[in-house]
Amino acid sequence: MRGSDFDELGFFAAIEASGARSLLIGRRALVLLGLPVLTADYDLWLHADDIAVLNAAVAPFDLVATVDAVEARRRGRYVLQNDEHVDVLVARSVSTVDGESVTFDDLWARRAELWIDDHVRVMIPALADLRRTKRFAARPKDLADLRMLDVLIAERGS
Amino acid sequence: MTERLRPAGLEERARLKAMYDVPMDVAEFVRCAAAPLTAEEIAETRELITWFTQRYPTGVERLAYARRAWERWSRSGP
Repeated sequence: MRGSDFDELGFFAAIEASGARSLLIGRRALVLLGLPVLTADYDLWLHADDIAVLNAAVAPFDLVATVDAVEARRRGRYVLQNDEHVDVLVARSVSTVDGESVTFDDLWARRAELWIDDHVRVMIPALADLRRTKRFAARPKDLADLRMLDVLIAERGS
Repeated sequence: MTERLRPAGLEERARLKAMYDVPMDVAEFVRCAAAPLTAEEIAETRELITWFTQRYPTGVERLAYARRAWERWSRSGP
């Protein structure tokens, strides 16, 4: 499947229909929130028990997991790919660069839903939690995203 | 007269991407992340959000924009 042919709406609809506990994080989440940032990939944070569910849901899009579920849980992440690239975080918790432990279950409990059209929802972390995920790595692009998220949080609340 | 910007070449884009993706010194990152927003940052970000959300009111339109923007960027040659 060529990248330009990717059925993005169908992809998110399939994830929602599957019931997989999956949060869109990374720059695509920022795009949905209204920030036009450049990004190539999709980043999901998935409950570690829902790997098989997600993989089955996105199989019709020719997205194939790079490792099996056992190995994905051992590594804490895996990739779904064809011409698209979906980074899937499956760790139960991740530490920020300044030592805060961020737990999937907490983010899932506080999640927000965004309707991307009349029928399809995407789950994202609350703004303050999305900001936490931007402290998983100390990259310049994360810093730039943090600063923009701070403006959003100031305007909309966390 | 405004100088026309030259599109980045493949090597230049790889260098820029690496710069943007390579982790910074953690203490520096934390210090910068905690610094108060400047009035200029706030104004620029608000302007960006207003433009983007008015031009692309729905999520699916924003996602489609992001895909087009990436394709344009990745295809732009020297």
